Amino acid sequence: MNIAPISRKSRTRAGLAAAAVPLLLLAACGGGGTDALGGGGDGGGEGGGEVVIAYQDYTEMSIMAEMYAALLEDGGFEPTLKGVGDRAVYAGQLTSGDVHVAPEYVSSMTEFLNREINGADAEPVATPDVDETMTKLEDLAGQKGMTALEPAEAEDANAYAVTEEFSEENDVTTLSDLGELGRPITMAGAPDCLDRPDCLGGLEEVYGIEIGKFEPLGFGTAQTKDALTKGEVDLGAVGTSDGQVDQLGLVLLEDDKSWQNAENLVPVVSTEFLDANPQVEEILNELSGVLTTQDLKDLNRQVDAERQLASDVAETYLQDKGII
Amino acid sequence: MVLSEEAPAGESCMVRNEWVCPEYVSSRAELITEDLLQHVWITVVSVVLGLVVALALALLVRRYPKLEDGVVGTTTAIYTVPSLALFALLLPFTGLSATTVIIGLVLYSLTILVRNILAGLDGVPADVVEAARGMGYGERRLLWTVELPLALPSVMAGLRVATVSTVALTTVGAIVSAGGLGNLLLTAVNTQFKPQVFTAAVLCVLLAFTFDLVLVGAQRLMTPWTRTRGA
Repeated sequence: MNIAPISRKSRTRAGLAAAAVPLLLLAACGGGGTDALGGGGDGGGEGGGEVVIAYQDYTEMSIMAEMYAALLEDGGFEPTLKGVGDRAVYAGQLTSGDVHVAPEYVSSMTEFLNREINGADAEPVATPDVDETMTKLEDLAGQKGMTALEPAEAEDANAYAVTEEFSEENDVTTLSDLGELGRPITMAGAPDCLDRPDCLGGLEEVYGIEIGKFEPLGFGTAQTKDALTKGEVDLGAVGTSDGQVDQLGLVLLEDDKSWQNAENLVPVVSTEFLDANPQVEEILNELSGVLTTQDLKDLNRQVDAERQLASDVAETYLQDKGII
Repeated sequence: MVLSEEAPAGESCMVRNEWVCPEYVSSRAELITEDLLQHVWITVVSVVLGLVVALALALLVRRYPKLEDGVVGTTTAIYTVPSLALFALLLPFTGLSATTVIIGLVLYSLTILVRNILAGLDGVPADVVEAARGMGYGERRLLWTVELPLALPSVMAGLRVATVSTVALTTVGAIVSAGGLGNLLLTAVNTQFKPQVFTAAVLCVLLAFTFDLVLVGAQRLMTPWTRTRGA
């Protein structure tokens, strides 16, 4: 059951359109979960139909989802956005076809599917090479009824930041330089960093960096960046697309041994939906063709620092690029 | 990168990230209202459905007293399931929709409502029931015109607790994109956006307070004898 025509501004949470008639909506809810979302079936016409875009609810992914929504709306679809807490919440829905599109990171999604399909202890298959990892992702996604489209140049990989001051004083610009300092380094990052080969494990083994003290303040969080700028830690885990790094006087140390996996942004689409609406591939790949890491940084900054709305930021970017 | 033409001129309280920020409220009024309305209807639908189901269960227990331990035990056990886990369990069946959240909230409201309805009905004085029977009241008429009205204070007390708790729990629905003001809270916590955290939290409290006032008012209207007794 369809709820109501959804305007650009208010489409974020489609159910709201019916707020004035809760009981009517209640009736709709009975099958709403699937009925409203099953738009793919009415077959491949030019006009498109409903498209449900799910994303992990944080700044970068909300901007990506808003950009997909604006592009698809421009292509004649009626997008509904579903921001959720975690990838696991929508992954099953992509397989069942209740969610049609999700913005993803190449290696994170590859490893997520790898663990889903081959068990929690599966040997990691993602690598620092995008093309190589995309081949793995296409295969794993295919087994789950999903299709990975073209990855963008834009990437949000794990990166490690120090202050400009620290970098100059110690003449450190790469992770190898930091390892060669030969003294214990204090660090802030996500709590799971301690167990991850692409975090603490690799810093110690690949670069020989001795982590003396670790503060579990989160990946790229304001707390981690605070600890860095206040000099409470030497090193902080942030993303390569972090919009506030430059502004805070931080520098990302170069991963000179190409140790980090490729985390390019990539649209993942329900295969059933794509078969019914093949034009979606071209529409979404248009964005992948232009989006750079620097663009993503700027977009993130406009939302996180300037507090603009993700939907406004997304639309302005696409218009500037002449895609919509 | 060209900035949006809606970019704030100069430093606003949004950019300064202040807890109290009228500019946030005025510039995002539309989005805030959407989430507030979602919060209201999810809460209302959940509590109404919860009351209907709880009443049915309570009447079932009255007819078959052997079921009491089972019904009360089960609803209490459901109450102990963490909401995150419950929503995740429902997800494959109901998808990313308000239905998922409403089912969870209805289940959570049952333990409070069933207990209070049963306590209310048990508290009806035996002599009143006997008198009604003596006047020729049948079971159904007895229930609706004598027992339930006398059980109202206890039922309403349960309803008030269930409603306030439902207002709070609705926010957890944000993890499946249907959490009313919780949607704002989830985004704001992730981006350290203080005006949004503060506004959404204050609205939650005001909403719970308003619902409670409405219920108190309704109870006064429905039980005039409790006020005139002393006169």
